[in-house]
Amino acid sequence: MTPVNATFGEVAAERRIASSPLSHVSIELGHLYMEDFEAGPDRLRQQFRRAEPWASTARRSWQERVPGGRARVSTCFLIDDYFSRFSTPAELIPVIVETAADSGLTIDYLARESACARAGGVEPAKLVEDRLVADPPVGTNGSRPPARETGWLCNGTRSPVAGVVQAMGVAQKWRPPAQNAKRGHSVFVDVELWNDDDGERTWSCPFLAAVWQLLRLGMLRDDGRPPVVPQPRGTTFPDDWADLPPIIRLVPSAAPFAAYTTLSVLSSRFMPVELAVRTILSQVAVDAEVLGQVVSRSEDEGVPLEDELVDRLSYVFT
Amino acid sequence: MVGEVQTGLLQNSGEIPDSLSTELLALVRGERVRVFRRPIAYAVSPDRLTGVDCHLASASGARVRGVGTVLSRASVTGGRLVQGSSQVRVTRGTSNRRLAWSHYMARPGVVEVVGKARAADLAGGFTLDAPPAESLDLGAVSARFVDVVQSSARLDRRAPFRMARTRFRWTAEPGEPDVRLQLRGDNVRTLRLTLPDPFAPGVAELCEDLALHDWLLTALIEIVRRARPGSVARPEAAARLAPAIDHILHLWMPAARVQDSLLHVWESLEHRPGFTRQWQSLVNRVRDHVTVALLTVAGGDGRSGD
Repeated sequence: MTPVNATFGEVAAERRIASSPLSHVSIELGHLYMEDFEAGPDRLRQQFRRAEPWASTARRSWQERVPGGRARVSTCFLIDDYFSRFSTPAELIPVIVETAADSGLTIDYLARESACARAGGVEPAKLVEDRLVADPPVGTNGSRPPARETGWLCNGTRSPVAGVVQAMGVAQKWRPPAQNAKRGHSVFVDVELWNDDDGERTWSCPFLAAVWQLLRLGMLRDDGRPPVVPQPRGTTFPDDWADLPPIIRLVPSAAPFAAYTTLSVLSSRFMPVELAVRTILSQVAVDAEVLGQVVSRSEDEGVPLEDELVDRLSYVFT
Repeated sequence: MVGEVQTGLLQNSGEIPDSLSTELLALVRGERVRVFRRPIAYAVSPDRLTGVDCHLASASGARVRGVGTVLSRASVTGGRLVQGSSQVRVTRGTSNRRLAWSHYMARPGVVEVVGKARAADLAGGFTLDAPPAESLDLGAVSARFVDVVQSSARLDRRAPFRMARTRFRWTAEPGEPDVRLQLRGDNVRTLRLTLPDPFAPGVAELCEDLALHDWLLTALIEIVRRARPGSVARPEAAARLAPAIDHILHLWMPAARVQDSLLHVWESLEHRPGFTRQWQSLVNRVRDHVTVALLTVAGGDGRSGD
């Protein structure tokens, strides 16, 4: 008798991680907030005019880097409908698309900022919240739960609370905060992730922007599936932001929305936000299988990626 | 590789259904609790990471600093037993100073040594009776994963008997196959494995399986000891043995999900100390005692003693 090796499996015991289609780079051509909208059409025109040379440079440099020159580049644009709502998709989207075209830019994907908080039945921000792993100060040996200020995340040890009087009545002296991975001196960053005023969770702009970067990098999964999938555009745009899909594909032939790397061309007023984004992203544990999938695909294509997620992000502040 | 598994009895009067195990173990939104039904019900939470930057215990007493993440999970077996399991793979660091946290986040479950260290020295330190208080404490991390499950309001907190948690500390080093298991005081067990591939993903699962069976054996020994068969009235001893029959005897399922390439570790422990041999002997004793007690009751003879 030949021994037979039985194979047995149970579906409920399996973990299936779908892979996302990926471009080489996702170029963000800008954010639009209420204040930009109120500043009039020139603000938008100026943003696109400044973004265009950087976008075409990025495209060209990827074409040179990718074997055969077939770089997959997609562009996107983010509209705030989370912190304030203004205009309507029917009015605004055609204007944005035309203004971009005037500067020689094509917007492949348009996303609503609230999609980072909630997209259909999924809450991408909560997926990220559960994956935060706090940067540990020296001496963290696991014996106590990570010290945490609810709704805040930092890159080091906070300064003791000023004015706290310890036992024996001695007021504690001020001590500086410290960055965990400092080189000589600290750059201590403390980021507010959300507040729960009035019993309702409001995510901070940096936290949603971190979710936005993770979506663009194709790093999030909800039960193994990408939480937000771009939808094709209809012939017209709705009158209410809530009726617009979280991410729409404006150009049917566009390269995939998510990409190995991201480039964000932003006004320099977003610099502090992006520092906060990088502080958050440095503490997000992306699923090891998702990371592995992306790495092996990029290697198969001959485009090795940086190990660290934050090193796959680049910026132009104009 | 080093790890620690804590095993305990779920704080509930009866076995919990798979649906409740799934609820208790849903520790990360968007991540599935994996549920196995054969050959024994087993549900396991998604992995979670904890950041650490501390000394690693060493047998020589050398001060070794490690930075990285601990990989942990919680599981429920047979709707009855809860485990919290943590592990780290200790590797030589690429730098002699601490790097940005994103570096360590790209290596989940890895703790990098800042400076120099020898694997055997660290394995020896981790399995010391009392590692220094400030050194890496995987036990505390695992205990929190057990606590998360045990503190659920969905459990009725009426466990059928009391039994201490066991702490099963293990290390796996590269080398010629070797297995060293030691029972220590305070419900601590240490296992030092030497394997051709100590980093295989199945090693932690093997240790969780061994820890589970070690707990079962420890619990059964303790139940029999408390029941004092032969010293108290048969019906009384039988009543004290009943929880074992109701709640744990059916949970013995050695190597249920252990990888083929690691089965030899289980087999060597079956040879010495002989887990299943001792378990079977205790099970026979429990069953025989209860049977005799029943026969005695049926025969109307309630005399005490054997």
